[in-house]
Amino acid sequence: MTTAAKAVQTTGTTAASARQVTKTYGAGETRVTALDSVDVDIQRGRFTAIMGPSGSGKSTLMHCLAGLDTVTEGRIWIGDAEITGLKDKQLTKLRRDKIGFIFQAFNLLPTLNALENITLPMDIAGRKPDKAWLDQVVETVGLADRLKHRPTQLSGGQQQRVAVARALAARPEIIFGDEPTGNLDSRSGAEVLTFLRRSVDELGQTIVMVTHDPVAAGYADRVLFLADGAIVDEMLAPTADSVLERMRRFDGKRTS
Amino acid sequence: MLLKTSLRSFFAHKGRMVLSLLAVVLSVAFVSGTLVFSNTATATFDRLFASTASDLTVRQAVDKLAADAHQGGKTRTVPVDTQRKVAAEPGVKAAIGSVFTETATLVNPATNKSVSPTGGAPTLAGNWTDSPRKSVDITSGHAPQGSDQIVLDADTAKKSDLGVGGHLRVVTMTGNYDFTISGIATFRTTNPGAALAFMDTPTSQKVLLGETAYTSIEVFGDGSRTDDQLKTAALADLGSGYEAKTAAEQKDENAKGVGSFLGFMKYAMLGFAAISLLVGGFLIINTFSMLVAQRTREIGLLRAIGGSRRQVNRSVLIEALILGVLGSTLGLGAGLGLAELLIQLMKAVGMNLDASSLEITWTVPVASYLVGILITVLAAWIPARRAGKISPMAALRDHGTPAEAAANRIRAAVGIVVTGIGAAALTGAGSVDSAANGGMLLGVGVVFTLIGFVVLGPLLATGIVRVLGAALPALFGPSGKLAQRNAMRNPRRTGATAAALMIGLALVSGASVVTSSMVSSAKAKVDKSVGADYGINSRGSSFTPAMVDAVRATKGLTAVTEQKSLPARVTGPDGKAAETEVLAVTAATFGENFKLPVVSGNTDTALAGGIAFPEGFATDHNLKVGDSVSIEYAGGRTQSLTVGAVTEKGSLFDGPFTTIETVGKAVPAADLPADESLYGKAAAGADKATVLADLQKSMEQYPQVVVLDQAGYKDLIQQQVNQLLYMVYGLLGLAIVVAVLGVVNTLALSVVERTREIGLLRAIGLSRRQLRRMVRLESVVIALFGAVLGTGLGLGWGITARQVLAGQGLEILTVPTGTIVTILVGSAVVGLLAALVPAFRAARMNILAAIATD
Repeated sequence: MTTAAKAVQTTGTTAASARQVTKTYGAGETRVTALDSVDVDIQRGRFTAIMGPSGSGKSTLMHCLAGLDTVTEGRIWIGDAEITGLKDKQLTKLRRDKIGFIFQAFNLLPTLNALENITLPMDIAGRKPDKAWLDQVVETVGLADRLKHRPTQLSGGQQQRVAVARALAARPEIIFGDEPTGNLDSRSGAEVLTFLRRSVDELGQTIVMVTHDPVAAGYADRVLFLADGAIVDEMLAPTADSVLERMRRFDGKRTS
Repeated sequence: MLLKTSLRSFFAHKGRMVLSLLAVVLSVAFVSGTLVFSNTATATFDRLFASTASDLTVRQAVDKLAADAHQGGKTRTVPVDTQRKVAAEPGVKAAIGSVFTETATLVNPATNKSVSPTGGAPTLAGNWTDSPRKSVDITSGHAPQGSDQIVLDADTAKKSDLGVGGHLRVVTMTGNYDFTISGIATFRTTNPGAALAFMDTPTSQKVLLGETAYTSIEVFGDGSRTDDQLKTAALADLGSGYEAKTAAEQKDENAKGVGSFLGFMKYAMLGFAAISLLVGGFLIINTFSMLVAQRTREIGLLRAIGGSRRQVNRSVLIEALILGVLGSTLGLGAGLGLAELLIQLMKAVGMNLDASSLEITWTVPVASYLVGILITVLAAWIPARRAGKISPMAALRDHGTPAEAAANRIRAAVGIVVTGIGAAALTGAGSVDSAANGGMLLGVGVVFTLIGFVVLGPLLATGIVRVLGAALPALFGPSGKLAQRNAMRNPRRTGATAAALMIGLALVSGASVVTSSMVSSAKAKVDKSVGADYGINSRGSSFTPAMVDAVRATKGLTAVTEQKSLPARVTGPDGKAAETEVLAVTAATFGENFKLPVVSGNTDTALAGGIAFPEGFATDHNLKVGDSVSIEYAGGRTQSLTVGAVTEKGSLFDGPFTTIETVGKAVPAADLPADESLYGKAAAGADKATVLADLQKSMEQYPQVVVLDQAGYKDLIQQQVNQLLYMVYGLLGLAIVVAVLGVVNTLALSVVERTREIGLLRAIGLSRRQLRRMVRLESVVIALFGAVLGTGLGLGWGITARQVLAGQGLEILTVPTGTIVTILVGSAVVGLLAALVPAFRAARMNILAAIATD
């Protein structure tokens, strides 16, 4: 845990928090509320999953937390720093220095090889990667023999693992995953999720993941359930079955 | 069904079509503009000639040699009673004695400046007559009466700020004459750019001819006889010594004179149209390649649901057809604007064309549509064929086709073979003796190397871009690295984009090598062959005795040499005659002003009663030292001279040389032409600059005279070549503009294509500034790649062309490093400019939307 302790800041216990966050699109009659006065705290060093049916606002919440999208009302902090109201330049710097991303697909630049993709955020920031840490990350995601390969020469699962490695390599305060296993078969998905789990357990990383897959949510420490733009439930130490059970109740509620 | 998809797709991608459309518009505009301009010009002159030509003009018949003696030679005249004889012919309504010469110079005495046109158009001075077909009307003041009144044309009057009551000086062979302007004459149709001055008949005879005679008799029939009948009758009646031309013959003669100039302009402009079409073609190929690449999935779907390969192919071609038709239509319209612009440009250099009615014949739209549609469809054919080849599943699975190794091998083989043939032709061209063969090989070499480079471009792209971009990651960090990789990722596209730029730059750098070699060769010739400190030239007119005296009287000037030029027919020992101009100079001072290195013989002995021939002429006509040649001058005067020397090539003075004294033995002094130019040296101890100033001062009242020292003469050569060069640069600039549109186009489409990548980069922390820099650097690398290929190719062409032209006087090769560096730096700047909009758009993309793009 010594390396992990270095990897994350230890001040405070919340890595990100949102207060009274509201996000609306359009105006007047066509006004759509995607998030409705959401309060949420993401604990440091934990693996949080955000779940909910389509249109529940789970992706919007993640995008707002990550500084990719602006909120209509409310405030958001990453660590101790408030990000609502920041200019594009400051947001870019924030994303570069404090946040890691894993998207559902197209995570890698086709012109760069695996290693170059992993170190890209630090390249952009003009920082030298910490060699020991990089080796450990590469080791953890099991890509040591594939570093010189271009993305097109890697399988979908391997590509997502490179993306995970990239997110971890810069030691961000928090990693956001937007359906990181959505495009993978169950075996590759399980691989990637295992790595995410290990990075939390062994490297002390904070991860927030949006998913609609109960199995994926089963890897998390805590699951937040969203419906109609509001957090309606929360589950600690979830399993795939318990999450599935909880999700069924959404369906039931909708049909009733 | 497919037509509908084509139409929908065309309009869905209209933003991406804009630049291709612009390229088509520009090219077609050049074609139609050129055609409309030359038609309008021809029509204007036809109208002018038709409205002014008399039914029959009668002149003194002279042999060809005398007719060639354009300036300084005696003016052709007919006696005054010829007019009475012609007037008495049956069927003649009016016969007007006309006095007109082109050798007078018009001077504004207030400023001592020439008011004659400078653009090469003539100054016509003559008598005011009551011709039924006048080209001008007096629009203010009145006709000239008496020896001090003159009428000036309105355009010249306006240009030189003269009006009725103003003063005008006429400088002719017979002296200087001061006049008061009594009237202003305005052209009925249009002024082709000449300056016109009218005096009354006796004055014009005194001033212009120095004798009571006419230069021609203009005959107007009463309609009872045809022009040909009038001609036959007049010639029969007047006897030998006369020539007569009917209205139709005059028109042909005039049109031929104007036509050769307009023809040159027309072909030059069409040449540039061809270049911009070629460059535009690359732009279209690129656009359609990218559209096809972007629509691979769509095409796959079309194929999967049963669209045949041919249908897919056709749907792309129909889009091209729409583009071609639209572009041609707009280009046709823009061409009219261009024609109007050219007419205004001609006006600025002194040629007035009738801009009120543009001549649009049926050939203009036909040529425009043909060219526009053909080039578009042809250029789209390549990507269309590629689209048809995509297998449905491959297309649905993924976009982007993998690199085809086999196709690349074929490309490499074809490219190397074609370039090889071209290079061999260029090498051959440089070593061939005959300029004609060399020129042909040069042409073949240029075309083949150009095609070869275009074919090889995509293959060279990978290597050269890697080298060019090698420093980018170190200099610009991640933006540099990404830019370098992006420029290399689609070599075919980079190659085609750069090829468009390459063509224009190759021509520019080739032209710059040839022209700078021209300048340095000419300067070297001055050093090698000119001994004179000063050259005194009279543009378009000749030296009067008074002027020669004024030169001779200049303080500090010695060794004045007069030079006359006599058209002559030279017959060598082989009995074959050749026409040339014999230069006759003052014997006593010749050696001080002219340095003529000899191949054989001795110029001093040659000029002591003999003649010297330049090497080229001597070789062509088998002349050697000691041969006796027979020389016939105008008027049938003949003399036999011995060849005393053969002079080296590459001299500034490249004619047969003899002395005025020698020629004087055959031609009486009264019939010798006036001096063409004068040369002189500063006396020992005199300050050269002071003598130059004094000389210029003594020539002050003759504004047509140019006095130059050696440095001034070199400057003049430089200026003349520069003028030519700037014109070439200006027109090639258009090709480069089209090429820049190509770079913009490629970048814009690349940015669209890489939307998701850009979104990802922004999400993981690439700042807007870094992103913009990435796009800019990619653009610079592509532009530099094109510039490197272009200047390389252009240098090859220029150096070979110089070798081919070595015999024509381009003896020294000069590579204008300054120009080449400017081209390279300029290309980088062009790259930066081209990236402005695409970079801005890339930076403004919404990150979430970009990532979510399909």
